[in-house]
Amino acid sequence: MSKTIMIVDDSSSIRQLVKISLKGDGYEVIEACDGKDALSKMDGKKIHLIISDVNMPNMDGITFVKEAKKLPAYKFTPIIMLTTESQQSKIQEGQAAGAKAWVVKPFQPQQMLAAVSKLILP
Amino acid sequence: MSLDKEMQELLVNYTIESAELLQVMEEGLMELESIEESEETINAIFRAAHTIKGGAGIFGFEHIVGFTHVVESVLDAMRDGLLKVDSELVAALLPCCDHLGILVREIAKGHTEENSDLTKQSEKIIAGLQPFLDNAEGKQTDSSQVASQSIQVQDETHRVQNIECDNSKSGNWHLFLHFNPDCLRDGMDPLSFILYLTKLGEIIELTTSTQALPSAGEMDPESNYLIFEIVFKSDAEKADIENVFDFVRAGSQIHILPLESKIEYYIDLIDSLESDDMQLGELLIKCGVITRRELEEGLQAQQAKRERQQSQHIGDILIEQQTVQKPIVSAALEKQQRVKESKAIENQSIRVDAGRLDILIDLIGELVIAGASASLRASQTGDMALQEANAAVISLVEEVRDSALQLRMVPIGSTFSRFQRVVRDVSKELGKDIKLHISGADTEIDKSVVEKIGDPLMHLVRNAMDHGIEPAQLRIERDKPAQGNLQLNAYHSSGNIVIEVSDDGRGLDRDKILAKAVERGLIQVGETLSDQEVYSLIFEPGFSTADQISNLSGRGVGMDVVKRNITELRGDIAIDSTPGKGTTLRIYLPLTLAIIDGFLVGVGESSYVIPLDRVVECVALPPNENHDYMELRGEVLPFIRLRQLFNKKATLSKRQNVIVVEHLGVKAGLVVDKLKGELQTVIKPLGKLFGHVQGVGGSTILGSGEVALIIDVPTLLRQQEFASNTH
Amino acid sequence: MQTLALESELNIFNAAEQKPRLLEFLECDEELEVDLANVSEIDTAGLQLLILIKREAMKAGKKLKFVMHSQAVLNVLELTNLTGTFGDQVVLSSDEE
Repeated sequence: MSKTIMIVDDSSSIRQLVKISLKGDGYEVIEACDGKDALSKMDGKKIHLIISDVNMPNMDGITFVKEAKKLPAYKFTPIIMLTTESQQSKIQEGQAAGAKAWVVKPFQPQQMLAAVSKLILP
Repeated sequence: MSLDKEMQELLVNYTIESAELLQVMEEGLMELESIEESEETINAIFRAAHTIKGGAGIFGFEHIVGFTHVVESVLDAMRDGLLKVDSELVAALLPCCDHLGILVREIAKGHTEENSDLTKQSEKIIAGLQPFLDNAEGKQTDSSQVASQSIQVQDETHRVQNIECDNSKSGNWHLFLHFNPDCLRDGMDPLSFILYLTKLGEIIELTTSTQALPSAGEMDPESNYLIFEIVFKSDAEKADIENVFDFVRAGSQIHILPLESKIEYYIDLIDSLESDDMQLGELLIKCGVITRRELEEGLQAQQAKRERQQSQHIGDILIEQQTVQKPIVSAALEKQQRVKESKAIENQSIRVDAGRLDILIDLIGELVIAGASASLRASQTGDMALQEANAAVISLVEEVRDSALQLRMVPIGSTFSRFQRVVRDVSKELGKDIKLHISGADTEIDKSVVEKIGDPLMHLVRNAMDHGIEPAQLRIERDKPAQGNLQLNAYHSSGNIVIEVSDDGRGLDRDKILAKAVERGLIQVGETLSDQEVYSLIFEPGFSTADQISNLSGRGVGMDVVKRNITELRGDIAIDSTPGKGTTLRIYLPLTLAIIDGFLVGVGESSYVIPLDRVVECVALPPNENHDYMELRGEVLPFIRLRQLFNKKATLSKRQNVIVVEHLGVKAGLVVDKLKGELQTVIKPLGKLFGHVQGVGGSTILGSGEVALIIDVPTLLRQQEFASNTH
Repeated sequence: MQTLALESELNIFNAAEQKPRLLEFLECDEELEVDLANVSEIDTAGLQLLILIKREAMKAGKKLKFVMHSQAVLNVLELTNLTGTFGDQVVLSSDEE
């Protein structure tokens, strides 16, 4: 059974990039364009991993992580934060909220896949 | 050569070497007072003492052997950690160095037998060491207890066990993974990290340890208890393996060690590394056995210990943190030692009479001139092959010149470190607590300059300590640390070597200097001067009278002499001072005194050389410019007409050029008739007869045989400034 | 002999529920069997629980066997080199090979 990964980012091109590379490795991908959208699309579904941007409209990444961690179905779901080099403090903030992994933008598809495969078994 | 003569030469060598070793000892002892990681330094001191003793033994100087032996015993006890290194101990050892120096000098004078006065002194100094020796002996007996305690402490932490298996031979890394207990809750599954690891290499052997799993009642099903040990085979760098665990590093124990069976390999690798005096950590990183992150972590731990007044060698910390095994660290330390020793040998290996070196430099100077002459003739013939051959010769001559000059270059470090003792002694004398910081000790400088810079530096250092740095009480009142800081720094900057003497004392008092200058008639009342101009007043001869020491902020004493010494070296000095914060004196010196790169210009029928490092650019003189200044890119550029300055009457050429020169931020133009291009040239000093001529730094002979004067830009600019000020 | 068939997941998400359930199961007989055929996802948390009940059973002198290992369980046991330690003959579930 293939595993499901959610990508939360307001940039459709980043979503696209992540989606294509993950699908190529056999993952199911759910897209969401911000924290709010993500929460509504999660809806108790089995999601093995969440990849989330930090700066997004409606609900930013940090708030989203905090909210997701409150839900029993996603309490232990691994979360990868997308940050930029200049957002070192965001990595810390994200970690405190519960997103322990991070990928620095801009990233190569292989970097994303490496981070994903460190976190979930195939 | 007769045996006697041979022995005589050997003896001369021994005394020279001993003097150097004593310098090493003294520097080492001074260092011991200021640093905490002292093992290396103690070793160096010990080796120095040992070598002196050994040499004395060869010549049969029993009194030196006997004396040094006692010193050596104390050093040995320090090395074994039986004696605590403190200022008391250093204070007892310093006189030993001094005394040994006297003993060796006596031998150099030919007094190979000891005399009774010196014997008495020897005995007295040895008596001073006796308490330390007694103390050390007492400790020897209970040192075994200490050792067993420290082992116990180590046992408390979980040590990485060796995985015993036959497969291990084919692996190269040993991973110990105890992920933090919360990792599962964070969505981090150790298993997927381990699976990911297989992308980098092959897991040869894996042991899952369940010993940390508590009883059923206490076990929290959401906590991680499993510990994994892996024998891993991979061509990846250690840093890449380490990166796998980035996300789980916090709170986890993750150790990546070279496999026991690979230790030999790393030891060999370390041995074969071509390395200069690398630091231990860098050495280990270079051979891939630790990562930069691990080193930084180790250094942080070291720093933390230091703050708790403990000291530990970085190698030991890395072993303790299970970053690397002891044999590898030991190999690296040995390597480091060998590098240092081989460097020391290199440093000592050739002694050349300075006089011979001077002859060589002189000859090369002549060669440069002869080369220029040959190339001039060659270019006149129009024979391309000859010109090419000549160009090749010239470029070789330049290389020979550079390496010959290199022979004369010595690091300024030894000059600087001599001041450790000075600062120590003078601060005791003054009752002030002053620490000397040295940086840029590796900066190289012409030996002839080094010899002449010692006195002015001594003056500046003493002045800074005496008048610059306030007494501790006053410093505390001014919210400064009680300990005063003095800094000696050296660096290269655009063709100059810069030596800085800075203190964090009271700074210069502008108003007082002004008042004094008016009183001495150096300036007019109401003259407006920049800070720089005010500060430089203290270099005026009129300022060097004794009564100013107390009421002026110091620094009046003999500063004109300092200035003169430096000017003689074709150098300059500048002051930077902030009231209440401190003063920095910057000495600018030419890299070498013998040869310069110059810019050749023609004025009338004569040629002049302007040192190239002063030249900023060349521009054409605007026609019909009758003022003594012109506009250059929106700025006013004052200029000096060399034609007027040197009183040249020849007819004006149609086109005149301005060479823009700069010194210490001041720019000016020199108006000349002809630009003749760059050249290398040997400076011939002007005879004493012309010592008073201002603005000329020396002379040189051109390829054509013509004599050209070398322009002394700083002096010219100062004259210019003076002239414009009085207008 | 009692058999307990575990469902699809044995991981951090349900470890807290599974622990009392598994311990309770240990009480119900002297000879026990845990059927792993339907375990499609297992992680370290799940593995720890299997190790825990195996150890508890041994302490209590009971016989506990894991049977019908699913591919997911086999993968994990192989990765952690515990296939042998678990001491059971690994029986492949029907749908594999």
